[in-house]
Amino acid sequence: MRLLAKYNRVNIITTIVVMLITGIIYYQAISWILTRQKDKELVVEEREIFEYAGLNHQLPQIFESNDQQITFTQAKQGSVTRQFINTMYFKKWDHPNAHGKYRHRKNGEYESGRGLISSITVGDKYYKILIIESIVETEDLIRLIFTITIGVILFLLLVLLVTNRLILNRIWQPFYNIMKELRLFNVADTKEIPQIATDVDEFEELNHTVTDMAAKARHDYKDLKTFTENASHELLTPIAVINSKLDTLIQTENFSDRQSKLLNDLYGAVSRLNRLNQSLLLLVKIENRLLHEKQKINLRELVEEMIIQFEEIFQDKDLKLTYNLEDKEIVASRYLAEILISNLINNAIRHNHSGGEIIINLTGEQLMIQNTGSDQPLPDEIFTRFHKSSGSEGSGLGLTISRQICGNFGFSLDYDFKDGYHTFIVDFNKHQKLFI
Amino acid sequence: MKILIIEDEEGLRESIEEYFSEAGNICETADSYQNAMVKINLYHYDCIILDITLPGGNGIDILKSLKEKNHPDGILIISAKNSLDDRLEGLNLGADDYLVKPFHLSELKARVMAIIRRKTFNGSNQLIFNEITIDLLAKEVRVDKSLVKLTRKEYALLLYFIANKGKVVSKNAIAEHLWGDGIDMANNFDFIYSHIKNIRKKLMEAGCGDYIQAAYGMGYKFTEQ
Repeated sequence: MRLLAKYNRVNIITTIVVMLITGIIYYQAISWILTRQKDKELVVEEREIFEYAGLNHQLPQIFESNDQQITFTQAKQGSVTRQFINTMYFKKWDHPNAHGKYRHRKNGEYESGRGLISSITVGDKYYKILIIESIVETEDLIRLIFTITIGVILFLLLVLLVTNRLILNRIWQPFYNIMKELRLFNVADTKEIPQIATDVDEFEELNHTVTDMAAKARHDYKDLKTFTENASHELLTPIAVINSKLDTLIQTENFSDRQSKLLNDLYGAVSRLNRLNQSLLLLVKIENRLLHEKQKINLRELVEEMIIQFEEIFQDKDLKLTYNLEDKEIVASRYLAEILISNLINNAIRHNHSGGEIIINLTGEQLMIQNTGSDQPLPDEIFTRFHKSSGSEGSGLGLTISRQICGNFGFSLDYDFKDGYHTFIVDFNKHQKLFI
Repeated sequence: MKILIIEDEEGLRESIEEYFSEAGNICETADSYQNAMVKINLYHYDCIILDITLPGGNGIDILKSLKEKNHPDGILIISAKNSLDDRLEGLNLGADDYLVKPFHLSELKARVMAIIRRKTFNGSNQLIFNEITIDLLAKEVRVDKSLVKLTRKEYALLLYFIANKGKVVSKNAIAEHLWGDGIDMANNFDFIYSHIKNIRKKLMEAGCGDYIQAAYGMGYKFTEQ
């Protein structure tokens, strides 16, 4: 839920609740005041009756008025308790049934009224007095005041909501900008997170923190890279020494079978160590985009060269190679392009069985290399570093490197298993998202 | 043939020296920038094997100094840096070749021999080994005047063997020489065997002696005996 929505929800709920409560209190207060007002009027009227009766020793004349009715009824001595009541007031019309409306009523209508029941003794007769005043105007007044108040409150609420929305959106803009920058952030990139202009302290702080964090992440990443590069570099010399010592060692004559087997294994291990190290160095270079040189390469020619290069190995493993190559020109580092294609063909050979098949297809859109091999599809992790199938003696970096190269070129590299063929597709139009 | 090895890593320097020391070769070594400068100013060499990172200075400066003084010595740079920029810089400054560490001694020997061949024969294009004559420009191999048709790789292999004659060349080194670093065949070098078999057969059919011998299953040796 967006912050604004959440804020508004809380805001509206509290406002409505508070408004209801105040509305009720307000209504009660006004009607209490106005009722008391009416009651006072009734009391005045009662007093007038008492005064009149005290002076004249008879009940006053009853005259009709528009908003007051007084009735006297004879009652049993002491049966009347003085009290105020809410009652109905029968209002007579000036012109009976003037508009032909209200036919069910004769010549008037009932309205809300307030009454006072009292008693008086005139002579030896005991009378019940009922004074009723119409309070319809009072109620109208209350209703009007109430409506205006509610209207004002609602209008205020609306204005608040709109301004909140506008202001909040504007105020939070720096936050969204920072988020956008964060989303674009890539440790391998050199692009800095820009300072976002804001006068809100919190956002400025956030921006600072984010910038610092990005710088730190980038710095750590670079450190790690530098470390990998340095470590690999430092390894080169000892590997060179071992290699040269082995070369020297095999010049000494007379080895037993056992010794030569051991030496062979040593050679193999050193050569693997070397390849692994070279691969790591290469990965660092690709990721740091240190290989800048670019040239026009005709991929068809490059693939053909590679096929010739691997000819003997195809023959040796008795692999059937089918290829269909169209011209495709790319502008890229030739060194990397060679590594990419040689890696892919290498894989197709290494994970093939004797007498298997390799199909290479190059079109303007994609390079597809298919090979027979195990009858199970490969897991998704094949592109992660140091993932190796059991029994593989590769470095486990070949496909990682290939994918990095594709990313570097703006291509994508994907794997698919169909009809028994392990298929690797380099798509020239789809950009590989690189994860680090 | 006179060779100077400028390399600070003792183990590597000794191995190279030992590999190149044979009858008729003089090998000298220098382990620092200063020692190297002294030697190159005193003597001339057929080939100088030059490491770039040296205590006391940079191999590139030695190369520059050699070129400024118009020394005719062949120069082969050996460096741990495998980047195109470094390679181009070295070659632009006048180095004859650039070899990335780690390397096989047989590869180094083949490169050095190629440099010396280019320098000493001065464009002459014949390499003769007993009854084998190799025309380096036309890339033709003759045994007693009769042409032997070799594939590109077989030809490269023959040159490699002759440069390393009398030495055991490992299968690893052969594979890397012929197929480059890209070859990653999990140390299964069986396919080399059929290659060697072909080249031997072709040479012997042309009346050539059998010079290539298998050496303890580790590699092959090209030898006169």
